[in-house]
Amino acid sequence: MSRLEIRQRPPASSDLAALLGQVARGDHRAFELVYAELAAPVYGLVRQVLRDPAQSEEVAQEVLLEVWRTASRYDPDRGSAAAWVLTIAHRRAVDRVRAENACARREQKAMDPAEGQDDVAEVVVATLEHQRVRRCLDGLTGLQRESISLAYYGGYSYPQVAKLLGVALGTVKTRIRDGLIRMRDCMEVTP
Amino acid sequence: MRDDLHALTGSYALDAISDAEREEFERHLQRCPACEAEVRGLRETAVRLARARAVAPPARMEQRVLAATYRTRQLPPLPRDQIRAVRAFPRRLAVLAAAASVAAAVALGVTQLSAQHHLDRARETAITRVVTAPDARVETARASAGGSVTVVTSAALREAVVSTTGMAALPSGRAYQVWVMSPSGARSAGLLHSTSLLASAVRPGDRIGITVEPARGSARPTTSPVAILPL
Repeated sequence: MSRLEIRQRPPASSDLAALLGQVARGDHRAFELVYAELAAPVYGLVRQVLRDPAQSEEVAQEVLLEVWRTASRYDPDRGSAAAWVLTIAHRRAVDRVRAENACARREQKAMDPAEGQDDVAEVVVATLEHQRVRRCLDGLTGLQRESISLAYYGGYSYPQVAKLLGVALGTVKTRIRDGLIRMRDCMEVTP
Repeated sequence: MRDDLHALTGSYALDAISDAEREEFERHLQRCPACEAEVRGLRETAVRLARARAVAPPARMEQRVLAATYRTRQLPPLPRDQIRAVRAFPRRLAVLAAAASVAAAVALGVTQLSAQHHLDRARETAITRVVTAPDARVETARASAGGSVTVVTSAALREAVVSTTGMAALPSGRAYQVWVMSPSGARSAGLLHSTSLLASAVRPGDRIGITVEPARGSARPTTSPVAILPL
């Protein structure tokens, strides 16, 4: 097992929430800690969706600055700090993709979520999380897994996913939902 | 709850729906605590999916982001009563997030209003570039028309972002026009359609002026400026 895989678990979500509270008060040191914790998930997620490293870097940068700027708007009652940040990141990446009108090349790439990472010069932060997610994804039906991957990692809307997979709209909607619920239960997510 | 709407919790949590559907669904969420709870759980599930794909960003990114925080003004907390309002209109926050590359707006203390204007992407990127430039300089002045004007300039990029807040609305048929003023005269940088604007090819020593002009703009200033700022 490589050194990276023994990386510590992420800090408790309450720590991040408290840090965001400090960030909202202009605490640069707290922001550095938030950055240290979330820059890799943000960059990894944006890159997963956008593929292009330069563009991903630009978007990830914007997202993290946005976290600094809007920290006061984070409301712990509505979800974890990580969820708040990664929702901003995902939405921003998806907005960018949709604006660019996803070209055929990207579509092809998105079908294989692992593609494009082998040549990544930067280190993949291999957390325990990765194995756990892998295991839970394996527990889904093929259609659930593909729908979720295309939607989240590929940045496709569910109508696009339906088209790519050649299934009915309603089916995709349902598969995304029950697949996610299964993932949630498998990973014992506590909201 | 309507079944077809409820089935959207998953797609909503993964941003796999159109803006129109998102808006409709968010209205539904206001009235459906069960849906909200489910969305929350599915969002946390998505966090795990994201963490599983974590990739260390290039080291230079950290310096850039940290440096930018020193140039970026933060949004104040919402007063209690407004929190309710925002919860009732989550779309507004979404727009705010989308237009957030109005990182310009950031440094500039431009209000939420400006974020509602959709900037086209090229311009958005250009504005972000100026505001996050290492040599960005900020000038703010009160406008005689009420409100204030902020200019962020990068001498290296030779670009300036002009941003206004709280300026008086003009009667129809009139518009604010922005000028790059140098000893050799005033050159139009365009009409202020939203609350910010990018001026190109600016030089040290130039000044930014804003005048009230006919809605279609003028070739040169025809009224005295409501604000003048050095670059």
